[in-house]
Amino acid sequence: MRNDCIGKGCRALWLALLTLPILQGSGQTAELLGPEITIAEVVDHYLGAKLASAGISPAAVAAPATLVRRITLDLVGRPPTVHESREFIASTSQQRRAELLDRLFADPGFVRHQANEFDHMLMAGGESIREYLLQAFGDNRHWDEIFRELLLGRDDDAQQTGALRFVKTRVSDLDKLTNQASVVFFGVNISCAKCHDHPHVSEWTQDHFYGMKSFFNRTFDNGGLLGEREYGLVKFKTNFGESRQASLMFLNGTVLEEPASKDPTGEEQKAEKAKLEELKKKKQPPPAPAFSRRAQLVEVALQAKEDNYFARAIVNKIWHRLFGVGLVVPIDQMHPENPPSHPQLIAWLARDLVSHKYDLKRLMRGLQMSQAYARSSRHDGEQRPDARLFATAALRPLSRYQYATTLRMGSMNPDRFVASDKIEELQKQIESQENAARGFASQIEQPYDGFQIGVTEALLMNNAEQVEKEFLSDSGDSLVGKLKAIEDSRELVEVAVWTVLNRPPDEQEIKSFEAYLARRVDRKLDSCRQLVWALLTSSECRFNY
Amino acid sequence: MARRRGNGFCGSTEHLVNRRAFLGGTALATAGLASDMTSLDVLRTPALANQLRRRGKRVILLWLAGGASQLETWDPKPNRPTGGPFGAISTNLEGVRISELLPKMAQRLEHTAIIRSLNTKDGSHGSAARMMHLGRRDEPNVTYPDLGAVCARELGQADSKVPDYVSFYTATEGRGNALGQSGFLGARYMPMFLTTNTKPENLSRLETISDLDHRERMDLRALISQRFAAGRDSNTLDSHNEAYARVRGLMASEELFDVSGEPQWIRDRYGPSLFGRQALVARRLVEAGTPFVKVSRAWWDSHGQNFETHLELVSELDHVMSTLLDDLKSRGMLEDTLVITLAEFGRTPNINPSLGRDHFARAWSASLTGCGVKGGTVYGETDADGQHVKDGEIGAGELFATIYQALGIDHQHEYFVGARPLPLTNPGIEPVSEVLA
Repeated sequence: MRNDCIGKGCRALWLALLTLPILQGSGQTAELLGPEITIAEVVDHYLGAKLASAGISPAAVAAPATLVRRITLDLVGRPPTVHESREFIASTSQQRRAELLDRLFADPGFVRHQANEFDHMLMAGGESIREYLLQAFGDNRHWDEIFRELLLGRDDDAQQTGALRFVKTRVSDLDKLTNQASVVFFGVNISCAKCHDHPHVSEWTQDHFYGMKSFFNRTFDNGGLLGEREYGLVKFKTNFGESRQASLMFLNGTVLEEPASKDPTGEEQKAEKAKLEELKKKKQPPPAPAFSRRAQLVEVALQAKEDNYFARAIVNKIWHRLFGVGLVVPIDQMHPENPPSHPQLIAWLARDLVSHKYDLKRLMRGLQMSQAYARSSRHDGEQRPDARLFATAALRPLSRYQYATTLRMGSMNPDRFVASDKIEELQKQIESQENAARGFASQIEQPYDGFQIGVTEALLMNNAEQVEKEFLSDSGDSLVGKLKAIEDSRELVEVAVWTVLNRPPDEQEIKSFEAYLARRVDRKLDSCRQLVWALLTSSECRFNY
Repeated sequence: MARRRGNGFCGSTEHLVNRRAFLGGTALATAGLASDMTSLDVLRTPALANQLRRRGKRVILLWLAGGASQLETWDPKPNRPTGGPFGAISTNLEGVRISELLPKMAQRLEHTAIIRSLNTKDGSHGSAARMMHLGRRDEPNVTYPDLGAVCARELGQADSKVPDYVSFYTATEGRGNALGQSGFLGARYMPMFLTTNTKPENLSRLETISDLDHRERMDLRALISQRFAAGRDSNTLDSHNEAYARVRGLMASEELFDVSGEPQWIRDRYGPSLFGRQALVARRLVEAGTPFVKVSRAWWDSHGQNFETHLELVSELDHVMSTLLDDLKSRGMLEDTLVITLAEFGRTPNINPSLGRDHFARAWSASLTGCGVKGGTVYGETDADGQHVKDGEIGAGELFATIYQALGIDHQHEYFVGARPLPLTNPGIEPVSEVLA
């Protein structure tokens, strides 16, 4: 049985998807909080209820310096400048968090960071579709529109160029395309279900896997351009050896009606082949089919109501990004055997997302306005509460771009980032740092759940000439260059800690660092370099906390 | 979420305690891990007894990149249309003949098992090389660790002061083809890569900083990070600090990569070739405790002039491999060190018009020597012309299961990625017991 499971797609999962009412059937939906309540209140209501029933009091709110760093990293993918941090800390506005969020959502850096994050989510480090995503997020296209373009985009539309790479790069392996589309858009990983035993599920069916595959089976590549045929059915052998023909069936069991299709005769096949060869030579796309199975997938996914896999999956992913742990864990296992930690919360958020046309900015902003998002990541008691209670903020390793940008900005002379009267110049400066960081970022591993930082990174940071050149030079543009000219060691430490860690040093740090500097009083430049290095490589700098 | 655990799941605190005890209380703070099966349980370890049993087991993989010919090495077919110009010679094993290009190995087969019956069904360099590093294929959403990463994890120690996976690749293969994949085990188990340079990247201190400053700035870093870690807890955070904690120790192992530390007569025995020097470094590394070293030799892809190519490469292999085995044996290390020769595939019995042999995955050979191997055996058989496996056909999975068993690693050992159990070899795969000691 084990053996059968490998490579075929586990029937158990698909049946369970049908049989268990986890997707918030009507009973639960009726009990959800009203749609008029703010996202933040809803988050705190549901998380609070569970914490209360577990008898756990959540961590206090994070220090303002921590919060402004967290929000800035999350929204624009870089740490705040010293000026931004100080401004936030000093602000007496009741609305200072909302004001910060609004400013950062409007910042061009938001589009760039959003593109980086989605590029990784969609392409998993393979070919990049960042150019397309920059345009899509820059135009404030919503997630449903982007989904549609990723699956159905047109090559001859400049706005959508690149979107179809999602399909094109996977079309040579339909199982992979089926799997990865399910993971990315619907949060369901077929391969992980392959060898789970679900002994209580007595009747198994593979119909759902092959049903999903049927949405893609007519799609093909013709010289780099995508085509879709009007015929072709998916046949498969069941685990009992029976041959079956898959119907066009979505995850939630909806079977789509479609016009009858007929396999071409030998003659017709020849003619089709000749025509495709000709189009290939002319670099023209094959004609669109009168009936597109792929288009049906988009429609059926977006029509779903309460069992909205598409909405729930992106809610969980955005939640995971901002809270470090998904409401469903792992994020690609949103199947019935694996219920969410807070079922009503995810149901409410999915409903809200659909009724606001998949506006991810609204979702993110709402989550970030919650008390839960603003908690400290420290827990000083005995037993650390289960991460899925969200009693404290999670420690999140920075993504490769976040870390490389943080290293760059943290090693620059902070005076270069002073908000002059020209905000555009500051933004340009920051963008150029981000771009310059991309080279170094390629040497940092992209985090994943359970990420382990390897010794390669530590060796790189310790002994690479590049690190010394990029982050520890003593030019006027660099932090080291600024520090070496500061006479007072206390002031020196303050500037260093503010610049790299975006917060003031505490007394004990000042004492230790001053002592370190004092032992090297005859080699000030060296000591400044070492201090900056120690701060840049510290865990505090490596994480969003 | 579902918490139905498969057999073999042992995230128990008891084992964590054992491990801590075993490691002498190192910084592997894993409290809370065991209760959360959603995280990859890479820190889950088998019982103490197994750890001890495996302690000191090592692997040197001689990777014959491009695909060495089985007919010019372990499975000659003299006087057949497919045989080519080279003959077969008798060996120190009765009735066993190997290519005349391996005269030294022919006298040293008492610790070696030759496997002549691989049918791996993939004749394309890239994907076949991947499979022969992983023992299977990646799935759409699972990247598996390669043999080196698994050995690093199963045979190494978390706080090891020497590198636990070193991979010498060749310029001909290029960095792109030199597979090193830790997959779901994480970056901790990625190889340290080396090419023509026998010293790894970023292992030596820059001249711009003194050794004392290098150490003290590390202490300063640790101080800041310790303060940060107070009241916080995550495996990723631990791994960050562990990685930095290993740096100084690894740097101290730099001398292992320097063969000038060896007496001249030993260096002379290995010979002046790059392959020979790297094999000597491999021996130095495993001697110091590195569990897995891969040394690549390229490029065996002899679509033309197969016989000239193999005359050169097999002769070198014969010399380097026999020297390595003698050296390991004289140091008493052979019984704990497994030496493997392997490639992505073999070569066609048919000789093409350019006097070459092409890619051939249907019936080819590998060898295992030393640790856990029943020496002096030949497993499997091909037909008279070497076109098909006649007896004992196995694939990559069986070969890997055999390697794991030889090293004392249960090939059915399961890792959990999320809630999913992933055994070391795919379910249903069995080792070749005939070649196991």
